Amino acid sequence: MKDKILASIFLATLSTISISFLFLENRETSFFERRKLTTKEELKKDFLDNVDDYMTDQFVKRDSFLALNSFYRRNLLLNGEYNDAYIYEDYIIEKNYPLDWKNVDAFIKKIKKIKNEYLEESNVFYSIIPDKAYFLDENVLTIDYKALASRITGQLDINYIDIFDKLKLDDYFKTDIHIKQESYFKIVNYLSRYLDFKYEDRNYTKKSYADFRGSSYSKIPHPSRRDTLNYYIDKNIENAKVEHLEHKTNRIYNEEKLGSVDSYDVFLNGPSSLLTIENHNAPEKELIIFRDSFASSLAPLLLPYYKKITLIDLRYGDIEKMEPLVDFKKADVIFLYSTLTINNAHLLKVKI
Amino acid sequence: MVFSSIVFLFFFLPIFLLCYFLTPSKFKNVTLLLYSLFFYFFGEREYVLLLLASCALNYFLTRMMNDKNKKILLTIGILINLGCLGYFKYTNFFIDNVENIFKTEISIPNIVLPLGISFFTFQNLSYLIDVYRKQVTCEKNLLNYATYIALFPQLVAGPIVRYKNIDEDLKAKKIDFAKFGSGVRRFIIGLAKKVLIADVLFSSMRAISMSEQTFISYWLVAILTTLQIYYDFSGYSDMAIGLGKMIGFDFKENFDYPLIARSITDFWRRWHMSLSSFFKDYVYIPLGGSRCSALRNIFNIFVVWTLTGLWHGASWNFVIWGVYFAIFLTVEKLLNKKRKKLSKIMNFFTPFIILISFVIFNTTDLRTLSTSLKGMFGVGVKFINHNTLYYLKNMIGIIAISLLGIGPHIKETLKKLQKGKLKNGIDALELIFLMSIFFLSIASILSDSFKPFIYFRF
Repeated sequence: MKDKILASIFLATLSTISISFLFLENRETSFFERRKLTTKEELKKDFLDNVDDYMTDQFVKRDSFLALNSFYRRNLLLNGEYNDAYIYEDYIIEKNYPLDWKNVDAFIKKIKKIKNEYLEESNVFYSIIPDKAYFLDENVLTIDYKALASRITGQLDINYIDIFDKLKLDDYFKTDIHIKQESYFKIVNYLSRYLDFKYEDRNYTKKSYADFRGSSYSKIPHPSRRDTLNYYIDKNIENAKVEHLEHKTNRIYNEEKLGSVDSYDVFLNGPSSLLTIENHNAPEKELIIFRDSFASSLAPLLLPYYKKITLIDLRYGDIEKMEPLVDFKKADVIFLYSTLTINNAHLLKVKI
Repeated sequence: MVFSSIVFLFFFLPIFLLCYFLTPSKFKNVTLLLYSLFFYFFGEREYVLLLLASCALNYFLTRMMNDKNKKILLTIGILINLGCLGYFKYTNFFIDNVENIFKTEISIPNIVLPLGISFFTFQNLSYLIDVYRKQVTCEKNLLNYATYIALFPQLVAGPIVRYKNIDEDLKAKKIDFAKFGSGVRRFIIGLAKKVLIADVLFSSMRAISMSEQTFISYWLVAILTTLQIYYDFSGYSDMAIGLGKMIGFDFKENFDYPLIARSITDFWRRWHMSLSSFFKDYVYIPLGGSRCSALRNIFNIFVVWTLTGLWHGASWNFVIWGVYFAIFLTVEKLLNKKRKKLSKIMNFFTPFIILISFVIFNTTDLRTLSTSLKGMFGVGVKFINHNTLYYLKNMIGIIAISLLGIGPHIKETLKKLQKGKLKNGIDALELIFLMSIFFLSIASILSDSFKPFIYFRF
C-alpha cells in the first residue's frame, strides 16, 4: 500500500511541477542570484541546448529551493562554510582565502610602476581596506592580514594610511562586501590628517533604501535577511558635475539602481574605469583615487574638499589608455584598495 | 541528459511515463526505444548512428550464427566491438605513449568518446558470446534487441545488464503500481545519494585538496574520495534500477555495501558487480580461471585486473589501480591457502587498501599521485594544521551521514521496525522522509546550477 501511496505522490509532484512550466510567467532576472535567467527566447533559439538551463532557471519557487539547500548544507550537515561564505553574527562573510602571495607581489609591483612612471611629482598615499573576514575569530579560515600589510608597507615607499583599526564589523553591510556610507565619515576625518584638508561635520540629508540585498546575499540566501542602504546628500553632491568614460549619467547617486540586480550601484552608477566629479564651490585642489568599488560610496564625501576628484578603476581600464586622459601632475593621489582586490591583483590592468 | 537534472525529472520522465503507460503492452518497446534514442541523442547527437549500427551489427551476426560459422562470426564480432571501443577510447592514450617513448610528434586526431560506449559495447559482447555459447536464445526481433542495448535507464552509466537477465522483461513486462512505487523509492534514494551526499563530498574534497595539505588531510581526502565515488556510482545504479522497476524491468544489483568488505576479494564481490562478473565470465574463466597452475592463475588475475583498470579509463593511473588490486588479490589467494592467520591480519588493512586504491583511481596525473601517496605515509608533510582542523570540523556532518549509509544497518533496522506494532507510523515516516529528500535533492540540483555573478565586483 505504501508503495502505491509513494508512487501517487511522486507522480502528482512530477506532473504538477512539469505543468507549472506551461503557466508560470518568465522571470528575466534573478535579484536573488544577481544574474540574468534563461528565458523562452533562448529556448526558441536552440531547444535542446537550452531546455535544461531554462527549466532550472524558471523552476517554480526557485528562490525558496535555493534557501532550502542552504538550510540543508548549513543546518543539517553543520557546514559552517557554504558557497565560499560564512555567517558570523548575522553577517554574510565571503571567504577571501587563501592569500595569494603572487597577487600581493603583483599588486606591489603595479603600484610601484604607476608611482614611478606617472606620479613622480605628486603627493602619493595608499590605504588598505580590510574585507569583513578581518573581523572574524580564529575558527574560520582567514588570511594573515598583518603579514599582508607588513609585506606591502615593507616594499612600497609611499605614505601609508592605516585604517584597519578605524573600522569595525558593523561598519559593513550584512549582505554586501562594502562599507556603509555613514561609516566613511570617520574615515574621511582620518584621511584629512594626511591629505591636508580640514574636515568639517557637515549637514547631510540622509536618504534610505530599506530593502537592500547586497552581492553576498545570494551566497547564503535567507528570505528575511536585509540591509538598509543609506546615502547622504548635500548641495555639493547635488550640484556636482559627473563625467564617466563609459556611462552617460551625470549624477553622484543613480537612484534608478536601487532595487536593481545590484543596488550598491546607486553610488557613482556602479563599475566605471574612469570618472571625474567636480565641485566648483570647493578649494582649488584635485585628488586622484586609484580604487575598487569600496571607494564609490567614499568619494562623494570628499567632494567638499576638492574641486575635482578623478576615480580610476584599473580592473576595467588599462593605465596606459588612461594616461592621456588624466593630468597626474596637479593632484594628490591615493591608492585605495580592499584586501579582496589585492588578493586578486591580476585583475588590475597594469603591465609589469 | 543525466537523471539528476531538472530536464530529466520534469520534462523527459513525465512525458515518457505518460506515453509509455498509454502505449498498449505490445508496442511498449517501440515507445521505450524511441525515448531511449532521444535520451541518447540529447546528450550525444553525433553518435546515435554508432549506437544503432552497433546494435544492428551484433543482431545480424548472432542471427547468422550456426554451428559451422559461429566461431568466425564471434571472432569478427569481438574484433569489431573491441576495435570500435579501442579506437574511440584508447587511440589518444596510445599515441600519447608512443610519442613519449619514441620522442616523436604524431598529430592526434580529435576523437570524442561516445557516451556510454564502454557499457553498450560490453552488453553487445556479452550477448554475442552468450549466443555463441548457447546460453541464450538468439533474439529474432531487432526492435527487442535494440531496446535491450539502448534501454535508457542503464545506457550511459550501467549497470552492465545481461540479455539473459532481462529477455523475459523485454517480451512480457510485469508492470504494477506497487512495483512502480518500489522503483520510485529506489530512484529517490539513488538521487539523494548522488546529489545530497556524493556532490557535497566532491565539493568538500575539492576544497581541502586546494588548501595546504597535511598527513591528516591526505587521509581525509582519501576518505572523501572513496565515499564520493561510492555514493556517486551506487546512487546512479540505484536510479537505474529504480527506473527499470518503474517500467517493468528487474536489473541485477550492482553494489552490495562494498565499503564494509572484509577483504579485497570480498570487496570485488560487492563493488560494480555487473563489471566484475562480466570479466569473470568472459575473460577470467576462459583464460583458465583458478583451475590451473598457481602461476597461470596469478597471470590470469593480472590480465583481468589490468583490463578492469583500463576499462575505467585510458590513463596509466587506471592501469596502476587494476594492477594494485591484482597484487592484493593474489596475496589474499596465497595467504588463504597457506597462512590463514596472516590472512586475517591482512583483512584488518582492507579499509586502508581500499582508501589508497581510490586515491590512485581519482588521480590521473602521476606526479600528483606520487605526492598524494607520499603525503598519506607522512613523507614531507606536517601532521595537521589549522586548515585541516577547519575542514575536518566543517565536514564532520557529511562524513557522519556518509558513513551511516555504507552498511545495511539502516535498512535492516527499518525492516525490523516495519514488522513491529509501529508499522503504520514507520511507513508514514518513511514516506515523509522519502519525499523530503526528493525535494531536498531538487533544491540541491537547482543550487548547483547557481552561476555566481561573474562580473567581479568589489
